Amino acid sequence: MRIGLLSAAHLHVDAYVANLRAAGAEVVGLTDDDPGRGRAWCTAHGVPWVDSTDELLSRDLDGVVVCSETAAHRRDVEGVAAAGLGVLCEKPLATTEDDAKALVAACERAGVPLLTAFPMRYSPPMREVADLLGAGVLGEVQAAMGTNQGELPMRHRAWFVEPTRSGGGALMDHVVHLADVLRWYLDDEVVEVYAATNRLLHAPTVTVETGGVVLLTFASGVFASIDCSWSKPDVYPTWGGLRLDLVASEGVVGVDAFAQRLTVHGGSDGPLAWPEWGSDANQGLIDDFVGVLREERPPAVTGHDGLAATRVALAAARSAELGTPVALDPAP
Amino acid sequence: MRIGIVGAGSMGTVHAEGWAATDAELVAVCAEPGEAPTELAARHGARACATLEELLDLVDVVDVCAPTDLHHDLTLAAAAAGRHVICEKPLARTSAQARAMITACRDAGVQLHVGHVVRFFPEYALAKHTVDRGAIGVPAVLRFTRASYAPKGRDDDWFADPARSGGLLLDLMIHDLDQARWLAGPVTRVLARSRATLRPGSGPDHCLAVLTHEQGAITHVEASWAYPAPVFRTRFEVAGTTGVLDHDSDRDAPVRTIMAPTEDLADVPIPGSPMAESPYTTELRHFLAVLRGQTEPVVRAEDGLAALLMAEAAERSLHGGRVESVAPLEVPA
Ligand SMILES: NC(=O)c1ccc[n+]([C@@H]2O[C@H](COP(=O)([O-])OP(=O)(O)OC[C@H]3O[C@@H](n4cnc5c(N)ncnc54)[C@H](O)[C@@H]3O)[C@@H](O)[C@H]2O)c1
Repeated sequence: MRIGLLSAAHLHVDAYVANLRAAGAEVVGLTDDDPGRGRAWCTAHGVPWVDSTDELLSRDLDGVVVCSETAAHRRDVEGVAAAGLGVLCEKPLATTEDDAKALVAACERAGVPLLTAFPMRYSPPMREVADLLGAGVLGEVQAAMGTNQGELPMRHRAWFVEPTRSGGGALMDHVVHLADVLRWYLDDEVVEVYAATNRLLHAPTVTVETGGVVLLTFASGVFASIDCSWSKPDVYPTWGGLRLDLVASEGVVGVDAFAQRLTVHGGSDGPLAWPEWGSDANQGLIDDFVGVLREERPPAVTGHDGLAATRVALAAARSAELGTPVALDPAP
Repeated sequence: MRIGIVGAGSMGTVHAEGWAATDAELVAVCAEPGEAPTELAARHGARACATLEELLDLVDVVDVCAPTDLHHDLTLAAAAAGRHVICEKPLARTSAQARAMITACRDAGVQLHVGHVVRFFPEYALAKHTVDRGAIGVPAVLRFTRASYAPKGRDDDWFADPARSGGLLLDLMIHDLDQARWLAGPVTRVLARSRATLRPGSGPDHCLAVLTHEQGAITHVEASWAYPAPVFRTRFEVAGTTGVLDHDSDRDAPVRTIMAPTEDLADVPIPGSPMAESPYTTELRHFLAVLRGQTEPVVRAEDGLAALLMAEAAERSLHGGRVESVAPLEVPA
């Protein structure tokens, strides 16, 4: 499989290039709106630099991974779809509902697969919980409490905190993963969203919200909370984490997607380090993408899932602005 | 100081043990009128009183450990008799009752203390101290969890009757509502959601609330009676502008047992870690020092009222589905 990379804006591209090679795919090249950033990235990762998107798309590709700034996703995905190629698009799908709908529709029209980068769908601990729920041993889920907290992402990429390019702050960055997991686990859609946000953390550095607590209500009446705050300090041993507790009629289950790690004190890794030994969920995502392109089968996570999660994040932003819960039409 | 405990159930028993560790004297115990609690009294060499009046004649301090809906009347009776009052949380079944209690005790010239015992749990007290000394900057996003199985009353199931206990919000979530306010200041707005997952008909047993504080912090609170016994999980996390602190009773347990399932459950689950002294004892020892004029209270009756006002705002939000403002804490003049 011959894969092209559109932009090095999103830091996940660093992981994907290794994942693509491990999946046996050929990384044909990368282009970027910012040639300086793109060329430097290509040099660092041993990937050929390509001067333009048109040129990249003409290189007999099977699929493209879109890692541009969120506001550029629509343009990029529409371009790839028009070339008849499958797409894996970084999350969130877009900064507006119109853009998210348009890029999903473009892939549907072109008949090409679109995957949203929700690696939690491929995380073995997260899948184990899905299996437990599916087997019915826990009974009916009644409520869920999730956290997807992180450090301030601008340490790696400054555009994350520029609303015109990222669509917002902590809400846009960290609501979609758990929104997607919850839709997956509950097989249900969000009908109401409430969000309280603030900007006390990193206040002098950024203009977007850095703290956020979101309450989702599903059509069944089940509710779930998501703490999407950028509340992990710079000295935290890792970027953040994702945890979810589910209260069901027959029991309770908690999952920490990144609990599989060693604890290392001292030595060359500093006072405290958590090297991970769990399976790489990004590898699962990339394997699925390559498999979908090769075998023409449906992916485990689609553009529709990306659209639904993006709508939840956008509704959260609206709610935070209004200070009240906002209704969400489950089937727009 | 001569102490009299009113109510001889789970908390009455815990408090009696607490007083035994102090130099105050537990002289009398009473329960429902006509039913002198002989067993508890005998264990502590106290008099088992058949009536409240009998107890009031014997004591300086009345320690109210009766069901929540009785706190108001018992406190007013104690104040009328000129006795100081220590009252279990929640201070009262309603904020109006709590205001009346504060007024009555003030007018009678007696002290009124409320057993927000979580302030005396060492992990919470240390978190407060850590925040207050500025170690993590200004609290920005706070999280609290308090999750167990549903408690049972000693003689009847008054906990399951929201008219008596106030239900999950007043009985359980109130601990962390007080913590949120203690750590991050007054709360102005609340949105809450609840489910009745296990015992339909007896009110919500799982509830989440999102609080907005006057000074800008936001807080997530989970309170649950829907967890399988015998778990009592407590967690908190305070993300501040320069650092984060957290506690997780599962993760931080120094002793872990894995037991075959048993039916032998405490009526009222109580969280806690092995300590030299029970936080209930620490609390009572503190109130004793306050009563003797030796120290300033860590928690005041007004804090109990403030917690009730937050719980009532959350309760309104459960019913109306909207964000609710917390009524202002105007202490009766
Ligand atoms: N701080 C905590 O951790 C904590 C924990 C549990 C309960 N509580 C609070 O403590 C209070 C008591 O709860 P509990 O679990 O001990 O209940 P319980 O049912 O175990 O005990 C209640 C006692 O009050 C007695 N009683 C009933 N009517 C009375 C009356 N008219 N006059 C005097 N006594 C009467 C009962 O006979 C019983 O002995 C409640 O307000 C509850 O919310 C606090």
